[in-house]
This record gives sequence, structure tokens and C-alpha cells, in this order.
Amino acid sequence: MHILVTEGLTKRFPGVTALDQLTVTTGPGVTGLVGANGAGKSTLIKMLLGLLPPSSGRAQVLGLDIATQGAQIRRVVGYMPEHDCLPPDVSATELVVHLGQMSGLPRTASRERAADVLRHVGLYEERYRPIGGYSTGMKQRVKLAQALVHDPQLVFLDEPTNGLDPQGRDEMLALIRRIGSEFGISVLVTSHLLGELERVCDHVIVIDSGRLLRSSAIGDFTQATSVLTVEVEEGTDALLAKLTEAGQTVTPQGRALLVKVDGPGTYDAIRDAAVELELCLTRLEQGRQRIEDVFREEVAGV
Amino acid sequence: MSEGVIHDIGYRHYDGARLGSAYGTRALFVFTLRGIFGLGRPARSKVMPFFLVTVMLLPAVVSIVVMTLMNETAMTYTSMPTIMQAVPAIFLASQAPTAVAPDLRYKVLPLYLSRPVGVTQYVLAKYAAMVLALFLLMAVPLVLMFVGELLVDMPDEPLRTQQFAAGLFTSLVLAVLLAGVGLLLASLTPRRGLGVASVIAVYMLCLAISGALVGTFESVGRTTATEWAWLINPFFLVDAVRVWLFGGEVASGGTYPPGPGPALIVIALIAFTLGALFLRYRKAAAR
Repeated sequence: MHILVTEGLTKRFPGVTALDQLTVTTGPGVTGLVGANGAGKSTLIKMLLGLLPPSSGRAQVLGLDIATQGAQIRRVVGYMPEHDCLPPDVSATELVVHLGQMSGLPRTASRERAADVLRHVGLYEERYRPIGGYSTGMKQRVKLAQALVHDPQLVFLDEPTNGLDPQGRDEMLALIRRIGSEFGISVLVTSHLLGELERVCDHVIVIDSGRLLRSSAIGDFTQATSVLTVEVEEGTDALLAKLTEAGQTVTPQGRALLVKVDGPGTYDAIRDAAVELELCLTRLEQGRQRIEDVFREEVAGV
Repeated sequence: MSEGVIHDIGYRHYDGARLGSAYGTRALFVFTLRGIFGLGRPARSKVMPFFLVTVMLLPAVVSIVVMTLMNETAMTYTSMPTIMQAVPAIFLASQAPTAVAPDLRYKVLPLYLSRPVGVTQYVLAKYAAMVLALFLLMAVPLVLMFVGELLVDMPDEPLRTQQFAAGLFTSLVLAVLLAGVGLLLASLTPRRGLGVASVIAVYMLCLAISGALVGTFESVGRTTATEWAWLINPFFLVDAVRVWLFGGEVASGGTYPPGPGPALIVIALIAFTLGALFLRYRKAAAR
């Protein structure tokens, strides 16, 4: 089943084309939508919610047409905006219960659901206090809770890690992973940071200036670019020479070396080289920024 | 037999009823109405509305006391809204921004519009809530006074049912007119303080201009112009409609232009403010 289908989806504003002939298909699970600021991510989400009519092209969300069935889409889809969107003088409970009702849940059901989702996103006693006093991390959780309160089949999360500290970012990403797997709710999550999405996504769509750069399963990204980061205390140059001599593809990056993994032999070659040169190996790690590298290459190639 | 307690019951799906956008509109109406009176908000949000409600009730209480002790009517139902006009005006100024400004200032609107309700339903719910709040503010004292009159049952005075109905009519038309003006001004200035100031400024301006013109025209003996000058104040404008439809004493103490003129102005004003409000939100939604 397709969660999302777009065909030649285009949005032109006066003077700027926000989305240009976008054709993508995604299935259930967590889909990442990656692009720099202004790449058209938020525009795409607004169009998928049926709030912004396309200039041309078509799109379906959960089998519903965005041009004619916007109201039905909004009934079964949740949306977490990128910007601040919470009134300060209302408590999280009050707001989420109210927005649950706005999505069509009867009041008692909405109360139950609000208590459930606020617990799932990790808000406890503080949910009875006015939102104005919350930290950024807590506000992001409230924003997520209101997108989930009506138990949607799909949620659009626009830059959910924006403004969070590293720990808050990790917690938010773990939560997104849970929504996609444990909760069984499909997720379309946007970010301008590719690195963080590979940890939670099944599928990644990369757009740039409103055009599709790439859409593929996460495995395709990582397979193509499995890279090891190798760091030694001293003798980086010697190691570089030795590994190149052994037939490995090596690129220096700061103090580290990036070694392309051709197979199990790569690991052996690194081990042998380090032993032979009597180097102190301090780091041997699967490349962290694999998708970003792909992205960089593809942007350079376009 | 299991003795353990499962604390984390995991995620539960919802398979209950999902109601339509009419239900959502009603929920927004109730939420807004509660917000206008500060219910479900911090204590300081309740101070102003409840203070003003109390002030509005005082004349009704005094009137009942006078009816009980002296067996005579102290105040007419139709003059109440105009005599107390500063109170609904301040209520409108302080509470209309509460109803619309936060959603614009804190960009809450997208949370609503990503749900089944549309801009039209959103505006209607906000408008209806403000109308009902103003109507309650002005009509509850009248109802209290009427209940008092029923209970006191003064032997020399006939029951003023028609005048009571006329008073309710004035309150309703005022509520519909003022709510539109207040929400429009408040929605144009998303900062709450500016909203309060702009509503009160417009009211004071109407009051002052009307007063000054009436004085000027009266002193030079231009009766027709004086009659129309009264109508610049929205409270006297609605009073003029009431006089045209129900008769009775003129609350301003002067005279109004005869015929349906004032009523047409009221209808035009309501249509204009509602139309402008819809345009304002159509624009806000597109952002």
C-alpha cells in the first residue's frame, strides 16, 4: 500500500517555484524528507494536507486526492508544524484535549487520548501547567502530542528536532522511531540534517530547490557508501600510504582517514597495516555521515 | 493468576467515533467562550471578565432593592445597556483580543487548519463565542432584574414584559455588532495590548465625536444633523433601532432619525465587519 504518491507535483509562487515536477512514492514506515532550508519541504507538507492547491500535478495521501479530499485527509493525518505554535496561557492537557476534539474526538475520548499521548511523548506532571513556562524540548513534545492525539494513520513532522540540544534530539529521534514501529503510524519527517534521519528512517527523499534529487530505501544509501573512519595517534600519512598500497580507497579527512569498505578484507588490511607500522589505533568506526556524503556527491553532480 | 502490574501498556489505537467538522466548530466555540471568561486559564485571566460581570450586575441588584423597598421601578430595561455602555465596551476591548490574538500571534492557526475545520468555521466559532459572551454580559442583569420584578410583584406597577423583551433585543443586536468590530480590530493587531488599546480607542473616538457633534449641531439648531450625530456612538445607534421597532423612551435623551435608517446602518456595519474578518483570516491562513 502506498502512503504517499505524487505525480509531477508543482507549486509556483509569484517569482519562485517552490516545488518542481516532484514525483515520489512512499510506503508505510518512517520516511525522511531532506533538503536545505527553502528546498520546498514545508510547501510540500502544506500541499499534502490539502491546504495549498498545486499549480500542476497530482498527489494522493493514504489514497485520498489532495485537490478534492483535503478534509478527509486532515481527519486521518497529524501535523506538527516547524515553527512555534503553542498558546502560552493554556496547559498542555487543556490544549491537546481541545485539539483532539477539533479532530472529531468526543470530549471523554479526547481526554483519555490526550493523557495517553502526553505520557508517550514524555510529559508528566508538568502537563497541567501553562505552556508558557515550558522549555523548548517540552514544547516540541506538546507539538508532537497534538499531532498524535487523534490516532492518525500518518503524521507529518516538520523539523521536529529544530532547536533541541543533542540529548533532546536523540530522545525526539527515538520517539519518532517508536511512532513508526511500535505505534504503527507512518511518519513523514523533514530535516535539513541528513545524518540524523538515517538513524530513524526506512526511506529517504532528498529534494533541492523543489526538485527531487533522490528517493530510495535507507539500505541503498548505506550500501553504496559504507565507509570506515580510521584514526591513529601518529603516523596517519604512513597508514594512508600503506593502505593505498594495499589497494584500498582512502581519503584523508582532518586527522582521520576514510576507508571505503570493499568487503571483510578491508578490515583485515587496516588491522595488518596498523600492526606492521606499530601504530596506536584509537578509532575504527562505521562512517556517521554516510547519507550526507551521498548528498554532497549528488549535489556536486547535478 | 498474574500478580504483576503492567505499568506500560504500550500504545493503544483509537477506534471510537470520529465526529464531523460541525462538532469541531462547536468545540472551538465552547473553548473560546471559556477563554473569554478566563475559565481553564490562570487565575489572573479571570479577574477582568468577572469584575466587569459583577459591575454589570450591580444596577440590577440596586434596582431590585429599590423595587422591594420603595415599590417603584428604578431603571428601564431599555436604558440599561446604554447607561452601562462603558462596561460592555471595556469588556469587548479586554476580551476580544483574548479570543483571537493568541492564535495569530503564537501561530496556533495552522494547528486548527490542519484539522477538519476550515477558515469559515473557525471565524464563525470565534464570532459566535464573542457574541454570546457579550450578550450574556448585557442580558443576564436584565433577566435578573426581570426575575426580581416578577418576585417583588409591585401592586401599582404593571409587569414590563414588552420593555424587557426590547432590552434583550438591544443587548442581542449590540452583541452582534460589537463582537464583529472588536474581533476585527483585535485580529488586525495580534499583540494583545495593542488590540485592547485599539478597541478602546475606537469606542472613545465614537463617544467623543458623537458627543461633540451633538453639542455643536444642537447649539446651532440643526435638528436632523443632531439626530444623526447621536448614531455615531454604536450604543445609541442600536438604541435607535430599538426605538424604531419597539418604541419607548430614547436612552440618549435626545431624538433619533425616524424610519429604518439606523437599522440599515447596523446591518451594513455587521456585514462589513464579518466580511473583513473573513478576508483577514483567509489571508492569515494562506501564510
